[in-house]
Amino acid sequence: MYLILLSIFIPILMGLYLLVRKEYASRGRLLATTCAGLVLTGALAVASFTAAYGSSFTLFYLTKSLPIAFAVDEMSVLFSCLTVIVLLCAGLFSFEYMKHETKEKRYYGFYLIVFGVLNALCFAGNLVTFYLFFEMLTLTSMPLVLHNGSHEAIMASLKYLFFSMCGAYMALFGVFVVSHNSAVLTFSTGGILHAAAGSPSAGLLLAAAFAMLVGFGVKAGMFPLHAWLPTAHPVAPAPASAVLSAVIVKAGILAVVRTVYYIFGADFLRGTWVQTAWLILTLITVFMGSMLAYREPVLKKRLAYSTVSQLSYILFGLAVMGAEAVTGSLLHVLAHGLIKTALFLCAGAIIFTTGRTRVDELRGIGKEMPFTMWCYTIVSLGLIGIPPTGGFVSKWHLAIGSLQSAIPVFRWLGPVILLVSALLTAGYLLPLTIQGFLPGADYDYEHLKKREPSPLMTIPIAVLTILSVLIGLFPAQLTDWLTRLAARIL
Amino acid sequence: MDFVRNFPCISIMLCLFAGIISSGLRGKAAMLVNAALLVTNTVLSACTLAYTLAAGESFVYVMGQFPAPWGNEIRAGVLESLMALFFCIIMLLSLFGGRHKLIEGVEEGKLYLYYVLMDLLLSSLLALVYTNDMFTAYVFVEINTISACGLIMIRQNGRTIEAAVRYMIMSLLGSGMLLLGLCMLYDLTGHLLMSNIKESVAQIVAEGQYTIPLIISIVLMSVGLCIKSALFPFHAWLPDAYGYSTVSSAAVLSSLVSKGYIFLLIKIIYRVIGFEIYRDSRIIDILFVFGLMGMIFGSLSAIRENDIRRMIAFSSVAQIGYIYMGFGMGTEAGMTASVFHILSHAATKSLLFIAAVGLTDVSGRNRQFIELTGAGYRNKWAGAAFTVGSLAMVGVPMFSGFISKLLFSQAAVQNNTKMLPALIVLGISTILNAIYFMKTVIRIYTPVEDTPYPSMTFRNMPLYAVVLVAFIILNVTLGVSSQPVVDMIRQGLAMFA
Amino acid sequence: MILLVILIPFIAAALSVWLPFRNRKSWEIFLESAVTLNSILVWYLLLHHSGNTFLLAHFTGNLSVSFRVDGPGMVFSGLVSALWPLATLYAFEYMTKEEHEKIFFLFYTMTYGVTLGIALAANLLTMYFFYELLTLVTVPLVMHTLTREAILASRKYLYYSLGGAAFAFIGLIMIIVYGRSTDFVLGGVLDLAKIGDRTNVLRFIYVLAFMGFGVKAAVCPFNSWLPQAGVAPTPVTALLHAVAVVKSGAFAIIRLTYYSFGTDFLRGTWAQTFVMLVTMFTIVYGCSRAVKETHLKRRLAYSTISNLSYILFGATLMTPLGMTAALLHLVFHAVMKIASFFCAGAIIHQTDRYYVHELDGMGYKMPCVFGVFTVSALALMGVPGLAGFISKWNLASAALESGSTVACFGIVCLLISALLTAIYMLTVVVRAFFPGRDFDYGTLSGVKDPNWMMLVPLFIFAFFIVLFGLYSQPLADFLYAVAIGL
Repeated sequence: MYLILLSIFIPILMGLYLLVRKEYASRGRLLATTCAGLVLTGALAVASFTAAYGSSFTLFYLTKSLPIAFAVDEMSVLFSCLTVIVLLCAGLFSFEYMKHETKEKRYYGFYLIVFGVLNALCFAGNLVTFYLFFEMLTLTSMPLVLHNGSHEAIMASLKYLFFSMCGAYMALFGVFVVSHNSAVLTFSTGGILHAAAGSPSAGLLLAAAFAMLVGFGVKAGMFPLHAWLPTAHPVAPAPASAVLSAVIVKAGILAVVRTVYYIFGADFLRGTWVQTAWLILTLITVFMGSMLAYREPVLKKRLAYSTVSQLSYILFGLAVMGAEAVTGSLLHVLAHGLIKTALFLCAGAIIFTTGRTRVDELRGIGKEMPFTMWCYTIVSLGLIGIPPTGGFVSKWHLAIGSLQSAIPVFRWLGPVILLVSALLTAGYLLPLTIQGFLPGADYDYEHLKKREPSPLMTIPIAVLTILSVLIGLFPAQLTDWLTRLAARIL
Repeated sequence: MDFVRNFPCISIMLCLFAGIISSGLRGKAAMLVNAALLVTNTVLSACTLAYTLAAGESFVYVMGQFPAPWGNEIRAGVLESLMALFFCIIMLLSLFGGRHKLIEGVEEGKLYLYYVLMDLLLSSLLALVYTNDMFTAYVFVEINTISACGLIMIRQNGRTIEAAVRYMIMSLLGSGMLLLGLCMLYDLTGHLLMSNIKESVAQIVAEGQYTIPLIISIVLMSVGLCIKSALFPFHAWLPDAYGYSTVSSAAVLSSLVSKGYIFLLIKIIYRVIGFEIYRDSRIIDILFVFGLMGMIFGSLSAIRENDIRRMIAFSSVAQIGYIYMGFGMGTEAGMTASVFHILSHAATKSLLFIAAVGLTDVSGRNRQFIELTGAGYRNKWAGAAFTVGSLAMVGVPMFSGFISKLLFSQAAVQNNTKMLPALIVLGISTILNAIYFMKTVIRIYTPVEDTPYPSMTFRNMPLYAVVLVAFIILNVTLGVSSQPVVDMIRQGLAMFA
Repeated sequence: MILLVILIPFIAAALSVWLPFRNRKSWEIFLESAVTLNSILVWYLLLHHSGNTFLLAHFTGNLSVSFRVDGPGMVFSGLVSALWPLATLYAFEYMTKEEHEKIFFLFYTMTYGVTLGIALAANLLTMYFFYELLTLVTVPLVMHTLTREAILASRKYLYYSLGGAAFAFIGLIMIIVYGRSTDFVLGGVLDLAKIGDRTNVLRFIYVLAFMGFGVKAAVCPFNSWLPQAGVAPTPVTALLHAVAVVKSGAFAIIRLTYYSFGTDFLRGTWAQTFVMLVTMFTIVYGCSRAVKETHLKRRLAYSTISNLSYILFGATLMTPLGMTAALLHLVFHAVMKIASFFCAGAIIHQTDRYYVHELDGMGYKMPCVFGVFTVSALALMGVPGLAGFISKWNLASAALESGSTVACFGIVCLLISALLTAIYMLTVVVRAFFPGRDFDYGTLSGVKDPNWMMLVPLFIFAFFIVLFGLYSQPLADFLYAVAIGL
């Protein structure tokens, strides 16, 4: 129990301390503190989900009906693992990357706070607690977006803020309705609203469910409120983009999972108009995200659009509400998290060393930074879904799950769109590899110089790449575990 | 204590005598005579009031012991003596408050004439209040008109003469109509004494004869008195008459003269026609509608006005609208409210006129608002008094206006059809009142840098300040402990029947 | 005793002007201690109240001026008396810049008494008295700076308030005529036998009276006086136009709805629907105007408009839960809004900056002020863990519990408004803390946090925002007890 609280509040307090204290005399001490904080938090998080697995407790009551409670279940473990890996890697990466930015102290302060808040989201035991930290996440991750302080960044961060708030309040409407129909708001597998099904308030509850899906879906970049994502992610410093794109958006996914499977229960929503509408939205998003990414010349923006599209793969799987599809979704959560972090870190490394941001400026980059580009290529293949990478396994499960389901039209339309989108993914990710390694005959090899970034940058990228490949190579155990999990929550 | 029964007659006679004596006196002496007269009359009226209250009934005083139909009767009840008392007090205060302006504004040689007119005016007012005879009433209406014209004209300049001529024409039109109505009534009934007419009228109505002539006679009398009391839309003469005459005249005219006519109308309603018969005639609805319109349009005109005196004058139009609205309710409660408003408006309006003159005096005699800026600091007493008057007009609790509003609305609620229009117009009219009065209050309390005008303190004008304080006390008393007054009015109205 | 707490402010105010004080310090100490003493008395009174009615005077007939300590009165007077000493402390510091301090504090302190009068009135008539009086004593405060703008604002304030009172007055008359008495009795005093078939007229009158009292609570379309009145010195805007005056309006409406007309008479009728729609519209309207407004104090004023209608929305649900939520938001909003206004005032006091776009980068120069401002902003948005969330939660669950469809749309309005609140409050915070890369901090040299007299109230308010956010159950229980008839 204390471990959970520590894993939440230690990083928050450390972050606050960094924010309010005076500027450090040397950069080293700042990094040392941050590093200690990150490692400590990571360790605590891991310790808490191993030691406190299955436990739950109530911290205190906001009001009689609003307890602040934490619990550790499988879903917590899954998301917490991802969080720890990504934040540690990206944190390591930023030690080098942030050299060329100002106000590092502020950056690390908020970085730590975000870490704590993410832990809290993973371990939240009921809807209110979750909602509390969901809003906190928006507020504390916003400074990461506007970090470089340009006008563009500030505007983007405001856009991020207001879209997220909009989503949060839509979700809050749902929370109100749910709390009105249920005595407790604790997450429990299979939902808490059995009694309300078929009652006169069911219509209102469905509306509430839809509001919550769309509202939480904002964080996960779901159409129609996705527009903030391609604006906000690219303007952040690269490691922050990585965190945003890989983990913070996953908070939206986690929220949707919690809502659908732990509050409403799949049975409540299956076959209703909510499911249909949701499926439509996710498929639109999948296709649209890929399309936009394909047309986008700036590398980081392209990756952001890719995030939009990939997240809706996950949402699609969740919307199908079948065991196979949900397994695929959860696996894709992990796979996409690792891959997208790696991609953004690669992009960051390229920007850091060359200062170039557009894809067409990066001809021959493979010759200059071969290691980075190899990693980029490998994870790209993963995202496209080429075996034997992680992406392939998850997409396979998604497609199978969709075909197995009994939903008319969407059972075959879904896989088709997923395939089309995969082609588009190849179309927007691989040109960089091709141009990078095969710059063409007229490329000027004279001025070529190796400029691989420092190990602080390459190591995280390598770690993530290896992990993503490992998922693809040895998926069996993980898949089994996820299948069991999926079966239980359905 | 029965000699008190002589007091009403004595007070009227005293006024006439005082007028006659004053015509041979110089200005200062006439003023003293007038003051003594007012004080005496106040005491006499108070005694009468106490007597009737104690007796619990009204009495009829037959002049010269000639019985009707040849003799002339005076009748005094609680309501009459209350009115007389109020009229005396307010006239006293108004005259004291405006005295310095009188001395400035009226030619030295004509000052005594002013007091002569004032004495006559008082006599006519008291006679209107007390008389039990329609013809006597008519005679004093004319006396009233003539003396009022004189009061308007006494400060001679082009505008007052024009105003007086207008007033004269309108007033004579009004009294002409009253006379016509009276004649018709006399033809129908053959009586001039009120109580006798009432009996005959009741008989006529019971027999169903002469319906149309009776209605016409009622209409003529009512409209005549409405014109004279400046009910909208017959108010055209009012702003000039009140706006340009000397301040005491304005105060007396607005708060007493028009009220005298209204009181006469009340008497006609109750004692000549009979309340039920009057209510069943349609004229009451017309009065109601005109009253409502007066409340709105009077205030609208006041908002547009840029001259403080004329603004207050227009406000009178609105307030008279209130009174007629009360009539129009056609209920006992409505009538009570109207009578109370006669008192409260009299107390407030004269206060406002007197206070306004203090404000204009410290603003170089300019009556435009722009010049009045900051006047409340230059003459603190007048400023405070004006504020009190304004608040009372708006109907803020603790001041007399609030009680009027309260009574009016309570009366309105009892009438199903007229409730909503009355209440809503009351609300709107309150807002309009607030707009122009509060605008002025804020204006006079807006300080200006280095004003060219001198300030006034208590030492410069002790009498004026005392009068203002008395007015304020009167106002607040009416506002805080209105219950006895309201009870008296109810009692008095009951005695009418 | 009740009379005493109402009179002490008047006496203290008068003494503060007439007594010859040696210097400013002793005068300050005198006023502050008088106000504090009075607050202590009020709290003593609240804790030891007997529930007896104290009759001051008979007015006319069966109408009387009397006082009583009952549930809502306890809430409102407790709130006001808790805030007043702090606001006075703040005002001392703030007013060093302004002129005619003594006159200012004369009326400022008198307002305290008048507000307590409203809170502790035992019947509608008494409350109406103090309600009108409140208008009169606060006008000089709005006028205080005596600029043309201030004069215009005070005129508008006066017209609106008196006009509103005129319509509220009609409601009063109805209660006098159709009620058993004018006393406040939970469930209303209307005598159904007297009403007969005039129920709809009476409901219409209720709507009129609602709008009348609503003028002070700034319901749309009678809200434009409030932003204009922001020209007054900040202590006035903060305490009066965020708490005392506007809350008096809301309080009066609660009295009118629950204690005079009675909810049974109104619930489920067109009158309820109408007033509810009005509040819902105001909620959204106020926020949208706040987003457009660039003058910080006026922006907060628009925010107040919207938040007041939260209270009224709760009140118009006409259920015990609705009233609980309304009272809860009444208390919480007071703390939140006064905190944010005091921040705005501190900014004006230290730097003379009034517009949002002038606040770039100030967060680093005035960390305490902007820290508190951020807390209050988040609370107003309804971030969980802060006070605003609790009241919003209660409002929403009360609305759902009432079961009416309109109320459900009310929740939607609340949430739209919350989003707009985020927009107008957080843009300020973002500007202050993240001015952008090219910002030149040189323009802010010399800017620093104000002294302790301003900061102490700010911190206390921030503390309470957090405290209420985390631990409000006893208060909510108490308010529920009030709503079901304490």
